Amino acid sequence: MVKIQYQFKRSTPLRFLSHLDQQRLFQRAFRRANMPVEYSQGFNPHPRMSFALAMSVGLTSDGEYGEVIVSEDVDVETFISRMNKVLPNGLEIISAKICGEVVGSLSAALSKSIYRIRIKIVQGTDLNELAESLHSYLALPQILMQKRNKKGKYVEKDIRPFIESISVFADPEKDKVNVKMTLVYIEQQCVKPEHVLESINNQNSAVFLIDPTIEIHREKLLINADA
Amino acid sequence: MNNYIEKNILPLVTKPITYLGNEVNAVHKIPNLEMIRFAFAFPDTYEVGMSHLGMKILYGLLNEEKDIWCERVFAPWVDMEEQLRLHDLPLYGLESMMPLNDYDFVGFTLQYEMSFSNILNMLELGKISLRSTRRKEAEPFVIAGGPCAYNPEPLSDFIDIFVIGEAEEVILKIMAAHREWKKTSGNRQDFLKMAATIEGVYVPAFYEVSYDQKSGVITAFSPIIEAAPATIRKQFIEDLDQAYFPDKIVVSYTETVHDRISYEIFRGCGRGCRFCQAGMIYRPTREKTVPTIQTKIKALIESTGYDEVSLSSLSTGDYSEIEALIKNLVCDAEVGKVSISLPSLRIDSLSIEMLEEIQKVRKAGLTLAPEAGTQRMRDVINKGVTEENLMDTVKTAFEKGWGHVKLYFMIGLPGETLADIEGIADLGQKVVDEYYKIDRESRNKSLKVVLSASSFVPKPFTPFQWMGQNTPEEFKNKQRHLKASIKDRKISYSWHDSGVSFLEAVFARGDRRLGLVLEKAHQKGCRFDGWGEYFDLQKWTEAFAEAGIDPEFYALRNRDYDEILPWDFIDTGVTKKFLKTEAEKAEAAVTTPFCPENCSNCGIMEFKKGWKCNG
Repeated sequence: MVKIQYQFKRSTPLRFLSHLDQQRLFQRAFRRANMPVEYSQGFNPHPRMSFALAMSVGLTSDGEYGEVIVSEDVDVETFISRMNKVLPNGLEIISAKICGEVVGSLSAALSKSIYRIRIKIVQGTDLNELAESLHSYLALPQILMQKRNKKGKYVEKDIRPFIESISVFADPEKDKVNVKMTLVYIEQQCVKPEHVLESINNQNSAVFLIDPTIEIHREKLLINADA
Repeated sequence: MNNYIEKNILPLVTKPITYLGNEVNAVHKIPNLEMIRFAFAFPDTYEVGMSHLGMKILYGLLNEEKDIWCERVFAPWVDMEEQLRLHDLPLYGLESMMPLNDYDFVGFTLQYEMSFSNILNMLELGKISLRSTRRKEAEPFVIAGGPCAYNPEPLSDFIDIFVIGEAEEVILKIMAAHREWKKTSGNRQDFLKMAATIEGVYVPAFYEVSYDQKSGVITAFSPIIEAAPATIRKQFIEDLDQAYFPDKIVVSYTETVHDRISYEIFRGCGRGCRFCQAGMIYRPTREKTVPTIQTKIKALIESTGYDEVSLSSLSTGDYSEIEALIKNLVCDAEVGKVSISLPSLRIDSLSIEMLEEIQKVRKAGLTLAPEAGTQRMRDVINKGVTEENLMDTVKTAFEKGWGHVKLYFMIGLPGETLADIEGIADLGQKVVDEYYKIDRESRNKSLKVVLSASSFVPKPFTPFQWMGQNTPEEFKNKQRHLKASIKDRKISYSWHDSGVSFLEAVFARGDRRLGLVLEKAHQKGCRFDGWGEYFDLQKWTEAFAEAGIDPEFYALRNRDYDEILPWDFIDTGVTKKFLKTEAEKAEAAVTTPFCPENCSNCGIMEFKKGWKCNG
């Protein structure tokens, strides 16, 4: 039995996959690629595969992590080429490595996410002023945000520790702006980039027009080994 | 348009990935001017349409032709429809995202009557003129086929060309005619005339119907041009084993209703259940051979990555070599890794051991369809299943650890009495009793028996085609009576809304006067009538009133044997004489044997020269 850890890209054509869709897609792709995926024991056997993170609908990424356990030795090059042959346009394996089965879970190793976001802004927003207000936003010692917990209740949470940096850049489209954001995982917890934008809106005046047409792209996902 | 929709529309709707046409095995071609552009339209949601086998066959078949690009289009869900209307964007074919009105053909598959309003809605969203007579030269030809095309009349105002019967061969003949027509300077009308001469094609504009002023029944139905035949003969594939079946099918990203490979092992059914339209119109029975099935399934698993195959047909247990087939499939190194499901198993042919052997997943519910509660009633409908068959089956199932049994029934069958209704509850009780006879140690810990009763809809080309449906009031009383007859808490009961069944009965046996009703209902916003939350009987009632049409005339009236029925001009091979004999036998509760046991002369052997059933 071999555990393969791989890194993959998800681009625009498949950005609307849900987490479940993507799981199904990979399961079927493994089968089309003739990968001998191991199955769990029990009444309802399921393939032993997982992703470091569930990707939300709409998200594109340059580097997601996934793992799969196969029953026979497969070398990394074969894995990559066979998978990329069967994956639809919009998903691509960019690297892979064989790792020991005892290696801890991927999600526990998450360190940082670097995002680039394209979002509509209020007409007439001055980019310099926006940069300044971000500066003072980050200077706050504590940023409280209402968050729904697992039981569905709203609790206040300080999101400041999860934010490492935020910067803004102009976009070719005048009513939009690019936001670069580095967010940190602490004990497998994190904050979503759209929530950070919402909290910026709440702290200052509303500048970001947050709606479903927001484009969120993860440029990098760092895990502890390479952090 | 593509980029705009992707960026600005799809993020706002549910399941955006289903509107992009970029699934694995979706066919993309580089279009040119000579290419025939065909939009295969399924008038229901993506999840329903992507489960449909016929679409997969025809999609593959048409795309085998270099100069044809067949794409798919489904009824957009209500949120997508809202966005398309809001942005004034046309409904489009998924693969190329080309507006629907730019195609050469838009081909609808007619699976059930409750999707008719969706057809009108899709045409409107695709910016195609609703009425055939209003369509301009450059607009697509709207064609339709499928089981509901056996009574095409209610849709005849909106469809240019109907294909009656199995479309695999006819559709290619229509395409060939189109290629020829394009070389000429002919107009729309000319092409329709060419199409009308192809066997199995019905062009409703070339026919005229007259009615009796007083009674409203049809007095005459005749072609108005010479090229149009008076009778349309249904088409069927003689050699199903060699018939086209795709090696690749489109794999949906989202979960569909039947999220698996569905492989058709035979067509037709010789059981002769008298309520069943499919059992009559798909005659004769034709099987594929075991090696063909095995090879094809293997190819499909390789090209799709699915982990489940369903062996489909009208009655899978009736496949002549079912045991050999399953044994071969289970032993096959490739196929053996996936699970095999057997839908549509009859109670008598059901071998629980066989089910146990192939189902690798845990024991989900067992679904059986006795259809009626008493032996007399089962004889009336010629179901040919006895209580003993059912009890044997459930006994074995309970012994093997099944605990959840669902039984399907129909209410409102011809000659039904309250005793027959009580019989349904009794049968449920006997199933419960059977469970308690099993040793506590070996049976499943929990028991659940579900009785599901749908309201019977008489269909064309069945022995019950002359029969009036029960009134909605009668259905309600029967449902209440059934509910009251159930005494055991282990039994639960589910039923279907009789408003939908009533409307289904109207359109199943309607004529072309219903076109106006459909149009009005569409204008009032009717669509997704098969979806409880969108079905609005009030709007339909208004539409009938405004069109001056009495729906009861179609649904509730008992028709005389000599009345001209709206679908009489179609010859399915099963004769009207046979259907009448069957109707009379039903009245006397006399059964008709399974075809291979004894031929009852339904007419199919005389229909096609040289055809011989079971040999």
